Amino acid sequence: MKAVLEFENIVRAYKKGVPVLNGVSFALAEGEVVGLLGRNGAGKTTLIRIAMGLLYPQEGSVRVFGISPTDDPVAVKQRIGYVSEDQILPPGSSVSDLIGFHRYLFPRWDAALERQLLDRFGLSPKAKIARLSKGEARQVALLCAICHRPDLLLLDEPGGGLDPAARREFLEASIQLLNREGSAILFSSHHMSDVERLGGRVVLLDQGKVCLDCDLDMIREDLCVAIIPQAWVPDAAALERVPGCLRVRQMSGEEWHAVFHGSPDDVRTRLQPLLGSAGIECMRVPLEELFIELVGGKPSEVAL
Amino acid sequence: MRIFVAPSAELPLYRQIMRQIAEAIAGGRLMPGDKLDSHRDLAEQLVIAPLTVKKAYDELEALGYIETQRGRGTFVCAKPPQISIGKQREQLRAAARLLLSEAYLNGFDYNAVLKIIKEADAEILLGRLKEIP
Repeated sequence: MKAVLEFENIVRAYKKGVPVLNGVSFALAEGEVVGLLGRNGAGKTTLIRIAMGLLYPQEGSVRVFGISPTDDPVAVKQRIGYVSEDQILPPGSSVSDLIGFHRYLFPRWDAALERQLLDRFGLSPKAKIARLSKGEARQVALLCAICHRPDLLLLDEPGGGLDPAARREFLEASIQLLNREGSAILFSSHHMSDVERLGGRVVLLDQGKVCLDCDLDMIREDLCVAIIPQAWVPDAAALERVPGCLRVRQMSGEEWHAVFHGSPDDVRTRLQPLLGSAGIECMRVPLEELFIELVGGKPSEVAL
Repeated sequence: MRIFVAPSAELPLYRQIMRQIAEAIAGGRLMPGDKLDSHRDLAEQLVIAPLTVKKAYDELEALGYIETQRGRGTFVCAKPPQISIGKQREQLRAAARLLLSEAYLNGFDYNAVLKIIKEADAEILLGRLKEIP
């Protein structure tokens, strides 16, 4: 399959010697949906801005449809849609002015889709942007981002600050786009239920690197968490050496929480040399818990 | 039939869909030859990625519950899937042991469990099973 977006060894720092992204590589195939996860400050927004050509990587390269977004910004942007949580729309213009501007910029503009979305969101074309609620403004941004039927949609925390109903409408429109156009989507989100609804694959950023890049269903069925008393295994490194161990963290109550690849039964077998016949708790956990097990429990070293 | 999904449940979404369709076929709410929603329509109804629904349909098709006829749609198979009876019994017996031990721990007796099973059966037949455990 052809890649629509490729990050290769991206490095980017805002402060010298403190990289936010420190060698990030992954790619999106045509029509693929990837949820970009990570804690605040993990570099999700930075990465999406690099894909948009709004930021340069200091090392590494980014290719969108095989082109660098800073070499030929027009060719790239014509085929991209972009919505972010802190996007600023011109407050003084009306909804119809803003849409008219986009229609003029994009030859592929789909007027029927525009009417349908205006109708569905219940947006009044005459309304001034400044008077819209946060949810309505985000809907206008989405409309402008998808009516030219982009091949790649970049969504930076699109549900951030929206109420559950507005978030759901946003998801509905995105899924319709997936259905009709087969666009590829890269979206960042802190809402794990939205990630499960939209996502096919998940990329988790931590400490400037990709800490997990995996099919969503695989994560749900192929990762589990073991809870081990520290009295039995005093040393975290011993657990980290067990095959398939992704992360160990120390919990209050003198326990280790360790994330492993494999089914709970597999993992119990692999732990047996370390623990003998002692039975331990080992279970599959929902995405939100897994996120916390993988990147929680310590301050992100790359913040600020 | 109506399908419900719960994104934060223990089962992945595609498995939740598989289970509900298989249950509907077992409970007679879906009959051989009945047409299912297209995977794209169901994805829009449930507000989940079309590929997730497609995965559920593909797996159900591989198991012999449903079949896709090109250009016509997806239908419940005329013949129920052939599953090894012995293996199926073994799995059921393991599940029953689990159910019973949990019930006894919580102070239910055997007859109380039977009554609960009957109630659950009625729920499946009436199609009131809304949430997947």
